[in-house]
Amino acid sequence: MKRPIIVLFAGIALAALAYCGVYYSGTASCCRMPKGNAPELTWLKQEFHLDDVEFKRITEMHSAYLTGCAERCRRIDQKNEEVAHLLAASDHVTPEIEKALKESALLRADCQAKMLQHFYDVSRTMPPDQGRRYLAWVQQQTIPSDSHSQMHH
Amino acid sequence: MQSDQHLRQTLREWKVEAPLPPRFQEQVWRRIELTEAQDRTPAWVRIWERMSAALARPSLAFSYITLLLAAGLLAGYWQVHATRAQADENMGARYVQLVDPFLSPHH
Repeated sequence: MKRPIIVLFAGIALAALAYCGVYYSGTASCCRMPKGNAPELTWLKQEFHLDDVEFKRITEMHSAYLTGCAERCRRIDQKNEEVAHLLAASDHVTPEIEKALKESALLRADCQAKMLQHFYDVSRTMPPDQGRRYLAWVQQQTIPSDSHSQMHH
Repeated sequence: MQSDQHLRQTLREWKVEAPLPPRFQEQVWRRIELTEAQDRTPAWVRIWERMSAALARPSLAFSYITLLLAAGLLAGYWQVHATRAQADENMGARYVQLVDPFLSPHH
């Protein structure tokens, strides 16, 4: 009578052990990633199979891009403030407002162009097939968005 | 129709000459009692009795354990696949937010 009970629970325990073992060993690397340093770049390295040299180069490019990006964002913020100030002081579109709006649009276009250039530079640093895959993916993620209305800078 | 009559005739004439096995009546009553007792047993007890009888056989016990082990491995593998896909999607979205100033709220 005891043996069937032992077999029954041994089966259940083995199934649970197998499940937990596979789950924890399989997810250990992806769960550790967000706690590490620059997890997005670590993910990029894994996803696009970069070697250490490519990864180091991309990390440097990424850092340089973010520094430039912050400066462009600061200029856009400044221009937005200028536009807001001009709008508050007028009840119609003056030539100054029109000029400020054009400059603001140019700054945004420049920001987007720099972003695209960064994507091209990163893709060229990757192995050719991975670079093409990266470029297709990142453009799909960024270009179709209604980006101006979502800007948070 | 004719064959029915022939069958009836044969049955009427048929005599069982072989002797009944020893304690035949007692065996019959015992079976009846057993069947009645089984009917009163709760369903889960009967299921457990059948299951324990099956698990007592080494070949079935081995099959049962192998099946559960395979199910555990498959479920774990499937869960890993789903979790990794979700994590990949999240990290991809975080990377895009980091590099796209029109999506990022923090730089």
